Parts: sequence; C-alpha cells; structure tokens
Amino acid sequence: MNKKTLLMLSLVLALVLAVPGIALQAQDDRPPLGFWDSCAAPDKLPADVVFGAVFGLSGGTSVYGTVQQKAVQVAVEEINASGYLGSSKMVVVFEDDAGDRNQATAAMTKLVTQDNVVAVLGPTLSSSAFAADPVAQENKTTVLAVSNTAAGITQMGDFIFRNSLPEGKVIPGTVKQAAELLGLKKVGILYGNDDDFTKSGYEVFKAALAENGIEILTEETFARGDVDFTAQLTKIISGEPDAIVVSALAQEAVPIILQARQQLGFMGPIIGGNGFNSPAVLRDAGAAAEGLIVGGAWNLGNPNPSVSSVAFAEAFNKMHSASPDQFAAQAYTGAWLLATAVRCANSVDRAAVRDALAAIKDFESPLGTFSFDENRDPVHDPIAQIVKDGKFAVLAAVMGESMEPTMEPTKSN
Amino acid sequence: MLNAYQETVFQFMLRDALLGLSIYLTLVTGMFSLANAGFLAIGAYISAVLWKYLGVPLEGALVIAPLACALIALPIGLPVLRLKDIYLAIATIGFGEVVRIMIINFDKIAQGVTGQPNLVITNGGAGISGIEKLAQTWQLILVLAVVAFLIYRLHRSRFGRAMAAIRQDERAAATMGINVVYVKVMIFVFSAALAGLAGVFDAFLARAIKPNDYGFTQAVNILAYAVLGGTSTLFGPIFGAFGLRVLPEALRFSQQFRGVLIGVLLLAVIIYLPGGLINPAAWNRLWVRLRGRRSGAVQGGG
Repeated sequence: MNKKTLLMLSLVLALVLAVPGIALQAQDDRPPLGFWDSCAAPDKLPADVVFGAVFGLSGGTSVYGTVQQKAVQVAVEEINASGYLGSSKMVVVFEDDAGDRNQATAAMTKLVTQDNVVAVLGPTLSSSAFAADPVAQENKTTVLAVSNTAAGITQMGDFIFRNSLPEGKVIPGTVKQAAELLGLKKVGILYGNDDDFTKSGYEVFKAALAENGIEILTEETFARGDVDFTAQLTKIISGEPDAIVVSALAQEAVPIILQARQQLGFMGPIIGGNGFNSPAVLRDAGAAAEGLIVGGAWNLGNPNPSVSSVAFAEAFNKMHSASPDQFAAQAYTGAWLLATAVRCANSVDRAAVRDALAAIKDFESPLGTFSFDENRDPVHDPIAQIVKDGKFAVLAAVMGESMEPTMEPTKSN
Repeated sequence: MLNAYQETVFQFMLRDALLGLSIYLTLVTGMFSLANAGFLAIGAYISAVLWKYLGVPLEGALVIAPLACALIALPIGLPVLRLKDIYLAIATIGFGEVVRIMIINFDKIAQGVTGQPNLVITNGGAGISGIEKLAQTWQLILVLAVVAFLIYRLHRSRFGRAMAAIRQDERAAATMGINVVYVKVMIFVFSAALAGLAGVFDAFLARAIKPNDYGFTQAVNILAYAVLGGTSTLFGPIFGAFGLRVLPEALRFSQQFRGVLIGVLLLAVIIYLPGGLINPAAWNRLWVRLRGRRSGAVQGGG
C-alpha cells in the first residue's frame, strides 16, 4: 500500500466515522430558534458570510454598544456551531462609532463599500442611524437596527429594518397588560405638551386607554423645564384615579414621581412612557420609584419566557458571565434574523437577502413571536415592567406572586 | 484614487480643517474664544432649513450661512470681546449653549409668532434628518484652499501685523495706534463666518443634524485641532484637524482603545510640544535638548 492510498483510506474512514457524529450532534446542539425546517440548509454560500455591525463600543454609548456586541458574539457562535448556514461560517465585522454620527457614517461606508458585507446591524443610536443608514440605502445594503426607537428610521428606505419596538408600539401593549393585571378603570393623565416625544407619547396613551375602555378623568399638562408639578398632580389625585399615566422625559419624570409619592401620598401605580425606561430614573427617584410601570421589549424575569429566551440567557451567561438585558436580547435576535435571511435566500446577494428578511414571519425569538410589518418595523408583544425593590421586574410575575390565585394565566410573550 | 470610505473620511477631514482655521484666527489674535461650535450650528441649521423648505442648494448656502453668522457675530463680539482669557472662553461657551437651546426651542417660538401650532422648522432635540449629501470633495478642497490662501495673505498685510501685535501685548498695540477693538471684532466676525462655512458642509455631509452635535464637546474638539497642530502657522490647525479625524479611523483595529491612544497622544503633545506638532521652532529646541542630553550622558559615562 503506497502513501497515497493510505491517505485516501484514512480520509474515507474519517469521513464515515465523523459524518454521522456531526449530523447527530447538529440535531442535539440545535438552538431553539431559527427556520431549520421551513428553509433548507443553504448550499450556495461562500465559505465566510460576512456581516457588519456598527455599535457604540467606546464613549458614552458603550454601555449599550458593548452589550450588543457580546450578544451578537453569542449568536454567531451558536449559528456557526450548529451549522445553521450549512458549511459556511457567519463572520461579523464590528465597527465602533463612539456614538458620533460622523464616525457612524465612516464605519457604515467602510463596511458597505470596502468590506462588502451582506448586511449591517446597528447603529446603536438613532441619531447615528439618520446619518449612516442613507449610505447603506444608496448601496442597496440591508441595515437591521437593533436599538433605534425614534420615529422615521425605517422611512429612510426599503433596505432599512428594525427589530427594536418604537414607543408607539410599546405603549399600547403595556397599557393593555396593565389594564388586565391591575383592573384599571379610571386614570388621570399628565404630559408635557411642548415636546414631540412626550406629546406623541400622550396621543398613543390616549388611544390605548380608549381601546381598553379605561376612563380618563383629567388631562393635565406641563412644560419642559418645570420643577413643580404639585398643582397638576393634586387635581389628578383628587379624582381618585386607579393609576396616573405620565408622558414625560427622564428629567421631569423624577420630580413627578417624587412629588406624587412623597408630597401628595399617591401610592397607586404610575404608568410611564419610554422616558421612564432608564436606570437614571430608578436611581434618582429611589424608593418612590416602586410601583412605576414601564413597557419594554424584553425582560430577564419574564415568568413565561419563550424557550429561546431561556436558552439565550443561559448562553449569554455562560459566554460572558453576565446577565443579558433588553439591548442584548434585541441584538441577539437581530443577528439570528440576518442569518435566517441568508439561509432562506440561499445567497449573499444583497437584494435577495433583503427580500428574505422582509419575508420573515412568526420567527420564534427571545423577544417572542417575531415578524416584520409592511414598514419593516417589528411586530411582537412588549412586556409591562414594574419597579420592585429598585429593579425593573415583569408586571405579570410580580402580580402572580402577590395577587389572588384566581387570576387568569398571562399570555406568553 | 480614494475609495468611498476613504473619501468620506477625507471630506470630514476637510470640513474639520475649516473649523481648525476658524479657531486659529481668534487664537493668533490672542482671543481664547470657544464660540465656533455655536456658529457651526447656525451655519448647519441655516443650510439645512433653507434646503429643506426652500430648496436652496449648497452653493446658495455657502453665501447665505457665512453672512448670517457674520451678522450675528458682530453684536455678540462687541460686548463679549471686552473679556479676556478664560473669562472670554466661559462667555463664548455660554454663547454656544444659548445657540443650542435656542435651536431646540426654535419651533415653539416660531409657533407662537406665526400662530401655527404645528409648525416644525428645526424639529427640536431630534433635529433635521434626510438632508441630501450635496457636498463634493472638490468643493471642500477649493474652499479650504481659498480660505487658507486668504489667511496667508492676511498675515502679510497691515491688518495681520496688527493681529500679531495684539496677541503679543494688547496695551502696547493700542499705544502704537492700532484700533484693538476693531481688529478683534473683525477677526471674531471672520472666524464666525468661517465656522458658518464649515456648518454648510457639515449639514450637507452628515445628512442629519441635531442640536446636541454642537454642544460643549464639539467646542472642545475644535480647540483640540489647534492644540494638536499648534497655532504657530496656519497649517497647524489644518494638520491637527486632519490628525484627529484620521486617527480614530486609522486606529479602528484597536477597537475600544482608540480613545485612550488618542488621549495619550494629545497629552504627549501638550507636555513635550506645547506649541503643537507643526511648530518648527519647538522641534528644533526638542532636537537640541535630546542631542544635548545624549552627549551629556556620554560625557558623564566617560
């Protein structure tokens, strides 16, 4: 037997032994998300499928950006270990924009024109997205925003997607869950009428309250920069509402909470808009923040998490020895969505990947059952969170612990 | 020649160089003014609003925005330039903040004046997005070259000598018959117009502008161009601006440590080359000092 035949023989032997092993392992290691059956394993992809990610990895936005990067790393490892892209590997080129719009533009241009990526995740900030996304749109490259909540992001073009819930979608879900769980009948509203965010938040609140048959007792307003809200709050509280709905930015949110709780003794729930969804509010309002209800896209403490949500939290913990937050869940889901688009398109052609991404429906993700609507905005249920012991906890879980057991089981997110 | 990525960065470099020259003008006249970010904001917003609502192209904005900035600078400069050193810096930082907050609340004022409750012009804190990228590299190069040439000529004029005299000693300059107030206000106005010019390119390069892009951080960034490059020649701030725009891109491989590396570089320049990187005299001194130390060590060893 010469050397060549020996080599061939051993190669064949290795293949025979290894292939069933790989196949079996792939079955076992399959992460609990992804279109494994509805899309066949791709066979026409290059060895490396290169994606880009523009996150704020340094500077003030690194609080969010580094978490997003870690979450994407978790997703990439799972996708590659499980052979989700067939024999091809998913590679993500991370670029830092330092939260600066010009650096975001430069990073996006680099990824799209020089690294020739299939699609891009990010940028972390909406303001960076407004500067950088047009570059991708001009080059017909898909961008999937995983943390932009400003209005107008997806209106930049048909290649711009997002999986982060804009405020207009978080509030209705939050009001609905809060109404069901707390049995709200009548509320008072306090909102800032001189700011786009707070005003549009108020309008969404109003529509959502009407939809759930909740009576609005009083509507009071304030202006940005106000520090004393006792007059408005006194009027609202005198109507004995079940809850106070507040549409304010973080700066006004804190004194409103403090004055309602400490000066006027209102202990009922306070339902806030996106401006309240901030660690700064928790820190500054302290004990008065207890009972504050805010909507979010994802929460680690969800009592009825999807299978993939649990698996994601475990994988993240294992890889980074830290607990994931909402930004991590959105970035992780984003990476899986892009990989799914490439798998289903069975191509790295940018237009084909865009169409495949737009076609994704009912994707079981940590965020819940996920789809894109016709405007490439996300469709999934938000989670109503309540502040308990200085932390955001899931409202349904907290109510489940403390309330009578006759309560209906809550819908899984 | 340049690929799209390099060209994008190059365009930002050229715009920053204009800003560097803007602060250079005031610094070489002995005025520590940090108003440039405010005028940059005014220039950018004027261009964006004129383009968005009236369809005024980049060329039109290049005329209107600097003129508007100059007109605003005149009444600001007259009282503010009575201040000196750090007090002037604080007052001009205050000006920048006033501009920023005015832009955030502009719509509210406009709504009150016109009586139209839904009027949106500057769009508050969210800013204006969807601006077309109209600025071309050749336009930037041309404008920068013309501006640099004019400043070069200015230095060699009677007015330029007056600027240098004021930087050295304001009182001595006044005794020699130089109209100090006139020179200082004119330079402040030129500097503002130049920042406004940079603002035009900023709006038509960045595609999206918001008030917080022009806050205190931006004012300090512009100052850093002059610190890194130095103000002994007009190439100093141009080089400084180029450097501080290129470095974050060139250091992309170092990921999160970019900011640290740039900070260390700035610190080293401030300590070892207080006059900035483009400073022939200081390089010479440093060279002499290093050579002197080495020969001294040799002597000590022998």
